[in-house]
Amino acid sequence: MIREVAWRLFASEYNDANLEAEGTGERPPSYIVTPLGAKVNRVFVVGVITDVENVGTDGQPMWRARVSDPTGTFHVYAGQYQPEAAATLSKLKPPVFGAIVGKSRIYSPQPGTTYTSIRPETIKAVDETVRDFWILEACRSLRKRLDAMGEAQKMDPLTKEGLVKIGVKEAIADGIVQAMNHYGRVDLSRYTAMLAEGLRYLLPEYREPIAPGEPVVEAAAPAKEEPPREPDESEAKVLEIIASLDKDGKGAPWEGILENATSKGVSKDSLEESINTLLDKGLIYEPILGRMKKI
Amino acid sequence: MNSVKEELAPHVQDINRALGNKVSEQEIERELSSYLNVYRVSLDTAKRSIVKKHGGNPATLAMGVSKTLRELMPGEQSVNLLARIVSVNEKDVTVEGGSKRILYGILGDPTTTIPFTAWEPLSVPLAKGDVVRVQNAYTKEYRGQVQVNFGSRTAVAKEAPTALPEYKPGVGQPYVGKPTPVRVVDLREGGSNVAVTARILSVERREVEVDGAPKAVFSGVLADETGKTQFSAWKDFTLEADEVLRIEGAYVKSWRGIPQISFDERATITRLKPDLLPSSERLNVSPRMWIEDLADRGGAADVTVRGILIDLREGSGLVYRCPECRRVLRKGACQLHGEVKGEPDLRVKAVLDDGSGALTAVFDRELTEALLDKTLDICIASAKEAMSTEIVRDELADLLVAQPIEARGNVTSDDYGLMMIVETAKLLKVDVQAEAREMLEGLEGSA
Repeated sequence: MIREVAWRLFASEYNDANLEAEGTGERPPSYIVTPLGAKVNRVFVVGVITDVENVGTDGQPMWRARVSDPTGTFHVYAGQYQPEAAATLSKLKPPVFGAIVGKSRIYSPQPGTTYTSIRPETIKAVDETVRDFWILEACRSLRKRLDAMGEAQKMDPLTKEGLVKIGVKEAIADGIVQAMNHYGRVDLSRYTAMLAEGLRYLLPEYREPIAPGEPVVEAAAPAKEEPPREPDESEAKVLEIIASLDKDGKGAPWEGILENATSKGVSKDSLEESINTLLDKGLIYEPILGRMKKI
Repeated sequence: MNSVKEELAPHVQDINRALGNKVSEQEIERELSSYLNVYRVSLDTAKRSIVKKHGGNPATLAMGVSKTLRELMPGEQSVNLLARIVSVNEKDVTVEGGSKRILYGILGDPTTTIPFTAWEPLSVPLAKGDVVRVQNAYTKEYRGQVQVNFGSRTAVAKEAPTALPEYKPGVGQPYVGKPTPVRVVDLREGGSNVAVTARILSVERREVEVDGAPKAVFSGVLADETGKTQFSAWKDFTLEADEVLRIEGAYVKSWRGIPQISFDERATITRLKPDLLPSSERLNVSPRMWIEDLADRGGAADVTVRGILIDLREGSGLVYRCPECRRVLRKGACQLHGEVKGEPDLRVKAVLDDGSGALTAVFDRELTEALLDKTLDICIASAKEAMSTEIVRDELADLLVAQPIEARGNVTSDDYGLMMIVETAKLLKVDVQAEAREMLEGLEGSA
């Protein structure tokens, strides 16, 4: 199995993504496909860790860090399954430049709303030069996708083979086709502005002061609410059911959860949705197929 | 009736061989025909039943089909071969916790050569040059190549050396059609009948043994503007360093995980004007490559990669090696030689990721000492004081993780991906502002 590459991409592009894709093979990796066609399983991010908070409990800590780059904010969550990253996060004193390698995560608490986050593998405090180099790399990477997407938007019909023929790498061509099918024709000017903003961030001549009225990418980005960490009403009910049915410690069986939930007025659809959200939030997990267990 | 008889004849002989000729051919023929025509069982079942009935071992039957080595595909369940042992070696492997001795080597027939592994002890000893009849072997794909496996059902018997013509390496089918022009950077493993225009940077004559006979091979490095590669010429083309050639009808094969170009008497060499390509000095550089291109290509010799060390792998820092086989010890024990007194060493195994792909970069003791600015002895002393070797690993992680570096070395490829044996490395200093300004100008220019 070939190791997944670590994408360098800006928070604003990452947070725009709401498409999940699955790879192939015995243990298919999952990807988040961005509007520009980056097919992201692993990311490498360097930004300012602005705050770290325990959003779990004292006994079961879940550390959340906000990492900002010139375009937006990444959300990083580390719990008991990321012990090293969690330990590092708990000791950091924000604000600090941090480098994070991690896996892409996406969850959707309700249709039409998705949140992206990062499940870290390693976190390290770094200095400003490492961060500046990262911004440059993120700009180069964005530039490549903008060029490829620009070509793709001119193609009719758009095919992977057609993209490969004009020199786009197969893995990227694949992401672009998936992105076009899902997001349609995205407005590239928004991302060109993001690229320019990233580059200007590195240059002292643009640093201060920002002229009033000058468009700032951050302001143009659709406002993203912070992902709610507290379970909502039906999630709370489901969580309770799972805990009560887990009699042997091996997790609650799916049939039991369904039966119980139906009797408590939770529909099958909303049950499934709640379970997915709880899984994504890391509040429950599936120890074996068909059984759910509270973390 | 005659044609049916002819059809059955090879199977009758097969049964006969399995039974050691102790039952008459007529008797076997009668029985086989009865199983097939009266009881209507499959040919396989019929043959097995007859051999069993007469006290023979059905596993020695040729149940499968006979194939030449070139016809083999990955995933054959049961196949029969007549082949020559081109080479054979022993090795110990760990299988399901136990140690086991296996044989591995290369089989050849007039069509090609193919690697083999014998997982079970064989009834006959194998030696180089033996011609063997192999029954019920199976095949798998290993590192992109078909591999023959001998398992518990496989029977191997020696045949007379005259049963098979000698295999001549390098002498394959003559190429048909025009050779494909390829730049050195685009050479891919498995390519055949390619044409390159390149300058010979170095060449030396080596003697190798092929089928027990000495043979001269002329190997070295050649290059064009796009990159350089190792080559092997299996015929004396009186190659000399510095000359510029057009080589038509060459093929690309991996040698120790790095694709290289090979050519033999099928190739045509044309000498060209020396000023057609830049000088040897200018060509003899380590080309900078993206990891995605290295992955496409399946490795390369002497390349330069720029990326970020995003993680240190297990077994980095202060390690102890087996004095016998140099393997790194786990919990004080060698997987082959058990508990031994390990010899200390320093190394780094790190994930180098350039945004297009990732490879495992291995730094030896000398490079690691330079990175740490500390000798092995100092590292041993600080590990003793801390009562843990982790301290060295942690220091390396502090120093290296998230750092952009430039590394130069050979990149090999296998099932686990790419690995670079780092020759030289330096932390990368980039003028971020200059590059950002240039990109921004390009952006505003095109807008």
